[in-house]
Amino acid sequence: MRGFNWRGIGFLIALLAGWELLAQVQLLNPLIVPPLSKILAIFTDLLISGQIPMQIALSMKRAAAGYALAAAVFVPLGIGMGLSQRMHRFLEVVVEMLRPVPPPVVIPLAMFFFGLEDRMKIFVIFFSCAWPILLNTLAGVRGLDRVLLQTARTFGLSRSKTIWQIVLPACAPQIATGLRVSLPITLILVVISEMVGSTDGIGYFILDSQRRFKVAQMYAGMFALALLGYLLNQLFNLTYRVMLSWHWGMMRQKDEG
Amino acid sequence: MIGLKRFNWQGWSTFGLLLLLWELGSRSAPKLQFYVPPISRVLSALGQLVVSGSLVQHLAVTLGRFLAGYLLAAALGVLLGLILGYFRGLHGLVAIVIELLRPMPSVAIIPVAVLMLGIGDSMIVAVTVYASVWPILVNTIDGVHHIEHVLIQTGRTFGLRRRKLLRRVIFPAASPYIVTGLRIGLSIALILVTTAEMIIGSKGLGFFIMDEERAMNSANMYAGILVVAALGYALNRVFLQLEGRMMKWRHGVAAGGAM
Repeated sequence: MRGFNWRGIGFLIALLAGWELLAQVQLLNPLIVPPLSKILAIFTDLLISGQIPMQIALSMKRAAAGYALAAAVFVPLGIGMGLSQRMHRFLEVVVEMLRPVPPPVVIPLAMFFFGLEDRMKIFVIFFSCAWPILLNTLAGVRGLDRVLLQTARTFGLSRSKTIWQIVLPACAPQIATGLRVSLPITLILVVISEMVGSTDGIGYFILDSQRRFKVAQMYAGMFALALLGYLLNQLFNLTYRVMLSWHWGMMRQKDEG
Repeated sequence: MIGLKRFNWQGWSTFGLLLLLWELGSRSAPKLQFYVPPISRVLSALGQLVVSGSLVQHLAVTLGRFLAGYLLAAALGVLLGLILGYFRGLHGLVAIVIELLRPMPSVAIIPVAVLMLGIGDSMIVAVTVYASVWPILVNTIDGVHHIEHVLIQTGRTFGLRRRKLLRRVIFPAASPYIVTGLRIGLSIALILVTTAEMIIGSKGLGFFIMDEERAMNSANMYAGILVVAALGYALNRVFLQLEGRMMKWRHGVAAGGAM
């Protein structure tokens, strides 16, 4: 990246200092915006006592299950719909009918079936990640160089071999895009479903803190959540670069060759 | 994705078959009926709710909040985005703050908004604005940064003042990015409105669905979900229509450039 953004850091520090100062002299209502130092102190306490890590672990367990399930179902489905025109036509209308449903309204439905169990959140995440994963995979497969598939057929590659060795590697970037777009969606939906129907998890923790007027604790929870969102994104980017390094290498080779 | 090319009878028959399975499956299993009432009963519940006017009222409330929040976010995001995109110094100043605020799942702001604004309309509109402004803002900044320098310099050479430059050159040139941001913002705004209504609302479709779930009125709950889905679909369609009309000139320009 470019040079280090000192001015940006300076502005951030000034902002935080201003917050602290205004809260200390009570120009900001301490019941609504407590001083930053207090929030950080409580955050550290909750971190050490294991309260926040525990809530986050619960949320992450649900998020991971829903996300993995969505990937396991909708990447193959996207490949199938991309390769088979017939399958695409059969399923297209159903997909287009389900897609505009805003994911949160699935929560009451899931609560009806699963109550407040983990399965409820997993289902909601599964549903909301479905469309970005499916549609990106589908677009990747449909944008595939037809010559690639014809070559595979000429060489007599079996269907499963074609998918594993030709289609999957060639579409990996688009599939990764779908997975990346789904990452923040997963986080949002796990928080929403915990706010609406749960007795634990970081989403519940934040809403519960607010309802008990433990305002600093609420901000500490939000801070933890922001940190989590940031780390997850970084982790994804790292995995992406490592897993797809061969792809970019190949693309470069192609350009040079 | 629904092409207007050819009627997709396979697709519609699959859809019809699923509905039929739903109807028959639910009718043949009384235990299941509690969770999944036959689609015919859902539709008749929908009809009654529409006729009685209660659902229409909730729909109007939700739509009003959505429009207020989304339009505010659009105006704010595009305006700020143009300014931050154009004045790079200013952008450098706030870039880190933006990057720190953005990864937090926006719904986490709801409890804060409740503290500050109570549980009225203004709170729901505020969280909607907060959540949907990010994609619009970030995409607009991106769009301005991707404009060819020659374009801006030409504008300057012709003596355009800053405001005119922003409005006549930079805004149109960045519009493809802006449109992308606006589209993402649209679905986020709908998510936030319904979520906020579910958590603290006493009106609106989100509240209605949640309320019917608690009352174990599954037919009404499904009817509410159908209405929200229809709303999402309709809003998307309207957006695409408007986009097509507003961006028509651009295809003309692009085609002219290619000639």
